[in-house]
Amino acid sequence: MKIRSPRRALTAALSAIVATAALTACGAASSSDDDSASDASATSSASAGPWSWTDDTGNAIELDSQPTRVAAYADQALALLSYGIKPVAIFGRVDVASDPRFADYDLSGVAIVGNSYGEIDLEALAAASPQLIVTGIYPTDRKGTLDTSGPYYGVADAEQQKQLEKIAPVGAIKIGGEGLDVVESTTALAESLGADKDDVADDKAEFEEAAQELGEAAKEHPDIEVTQLYADADGLYVVKIADEPETQMYAGFGVNYTDLNPGGDYYWDIYSWENAAKMMSGDVILANVEGYQAKQLAKQPTFADDPALKAGQVYSWNGAAMDYTSQAKQMEKLADLIDDAKDVA
Amino acid sequence: MRTPPVLTRGVSPGASAGADSHCAAALASPAPGRRLRLTGALIGLPAALVVVVMASLVLGSNHVSLGQVLTALVDRSDDPGAIVWGSRVPRTVLGLVVGACLGVAGAVMQGQTRNPLADPGLFGVSAGASLAVVLGIYLADVTSVLAILWLAFVGAVVASLVVFGVAALGRGLASPVPLAIAGMAVSALLGAVTSFLVLTDEATLAGYRIWVVGSLSGRTLSGIGPALAIAAAGAVLAVLNARSLDTLALGAELATGLGENLVRARLVGLGAITLLTASAVAITGPIGFVGLTAPHVARSLVGGSHARLLPASALVGAIVLLGCDVVGRLIGGMGEVSVGVVLSVLGGGVFVTIVRRGRMAQL
Repeated sequence: MKIRSPRRALTAALSAIVATAALTACGAASSSDDDSASDASATSSASAGPWSWTDDTGNAIELDSQPTRVAAYADQALALLSYGIKPVAIFGRVDVASDPRFADYDLSGVAIVGNSYGEIDLEALAAASPQLIVTGIYPTDRKGTLDTSGPYYGVADAEQQKQLEKIAPVGAIKIGGEGLDVVESTTALAESLGADKDDVADDKAEFEEAAQELGEAAKEHPDIEVTQLYADADGLYVVKIADEPETQMYAGFGVNYTDLNPGGDYYWDIYSWENAAKMMSGDVILANVEGYQAKQLAKQPTFADDPALKAGQVYSWNGAAMDYTSQAKQMEKLADLIDDAKDVA
Repeated sequence: MRTPPVLTRGVSPGASAGADSHCAAALASPAPGRRLRLTGALIGLPAALVVVVMASLVLGSNHVSLGQVLTALVDRSDDPGAIVWGSRVPRTVLGLVVGACLGVAGAVMQGQTRNPLADPGLFGVSAGASLAVVLGIYLADVTSVLAILWLAFVGAVVASLVVFGVAALGRGLASPVPLAIAGMAVSALLGAVTSFLVLTDEATLAGYRIWVVGSLSGRTLSGIGPALAIAAAGAVLAVLNARSLDTLALGAELATGLGENLVRARLVGLGAITLLTASAVAITGPIGFVGLTAPHVARSLVGGSHARLLPASALVGAIVLLGCDVVGRLIGGMGEVSVGVVLSVLGGGVFVTIVRRGRMAQL
């Protein structure tokens, strides 16, 4: 699961519920089709000469030359790092230095200019003198609507975004719709920023191999159903497979996910603890690292009978960056879980 | 709010504010209407409580049939998915405890301040508890219910002591005004620190959000013994404070004249408010409106004598909180709406009605 700020989604979901208090939460089921309207069309150019990048919001960024100093939000920074592009500055929504996803990378010389959502040290960012700032943007609905009037992901508000724009042009990768589109958009940007084509090709081969392994694991164990969720005291939030790029992509490779109600509200299916039994069809549970883990799930009496929990098949799940290598590793991990899983549900 | 001294015990300053003729009428005769209402309350409140408890056991976001619920209640091993014993029984018990705590705390607070609009949070208790919890999440990533309980409790007590100290240093404790002003100032300060921490740290915000929207969901009865003990201690203090509250309703000067020890009366009352609010806050997170409205409803039913008002406020608080929780369970589809949210929406409307009614009565 991408770090999609479940709380923000929850808050939104809750306010929606409150707004329509009298109505049952049963919105019109919109089609899960993705209109990836604005794929990044990064123009790969030589280091010399003008450089341009049309980001996923359709914003064309034009520079006199290929930017060599890029600042990025943590998720996009991870992707760039995997392609050998070292950002000059990174801002995250959790502490970057202790974020395990950065463990494989050398961050010396990189300015860490933010360790919590929206808290970007603008002076430090300006001091790193980036030529381009890259972050993500999440759609607000299943149709992929991008609210470009609001701040991009990781940015506090429109005002702060204006401040960022004063430092360098800001572009965003759309984190929604088809996972493969997100990976390709991210990769296209990296290539445009000078990522080595051969290395990218190697990464892609590794990705495809992992995808195949994942598909094979899923095919060998067709009865293993994977539930991806976030849980806290309020209940269980089961990810809708088509609405999260990562699950959308893995489902395409053959993973059998719990997807009990693909229509209705965007992104989550919400189950109160009383209704927990209604979503217990999974054999493997991937629990978002930010919410309840196996130990806390076990304390909920109405969840105690969950077959995956009883079989010890609840695992912490952290969102991976949307580059070939990170995704390959994530898929290997999932393939292993599926291979080792017992069919318990 | 200033209220004219009232010469009767048992008539609350709130109900009589600016309505001397009303008081005179109340004095002149034992008011058959009131007696009737009292009898009604004596039967009606417990009856309403039973109804709400039954509703809380029978109704929920999972529509288990009445028969299944009754079977499960009798035979625990026949509980479908542990819904009755794992979810509904604990939240019913907790809802009753928290509602009663808030109701009594509100009644004591309103008696202490002679202000019918006083909320138990007025003396900084809720703000202190919130800050302590946020600090715990921020510094130590605290998640366990027991740890949050103690944090909330300590925060509430410390904030109360600070408020009490500030008020005592200033114009003293004779008037509730310095206490309220100190409470507001301390609340504002603590609230600012809380906001700062929450807004600058997303992880803290995440942990805090769950806690700050008061909810009965996902709570179990294990480990709440300390909270119950603290609540019981608070209830004892409230009962001990009942006579003083009646005297304080006459105004500090008259109360002193009647031999009331003001410092002691304030301390006992503040202790009751702190302990009751802290235990409630620790179990569910801060919940508004119950502490504000329950005493109002109770007062209109049983009058202002605190010997009757305190238990009536406890009952009304429990009924309102649990009732709103049941509503929240039914309007969220497969999910639920937190009782704190339901209360903010419904409570606001109810409160406006009460204020309007009060004004009408005065006219």
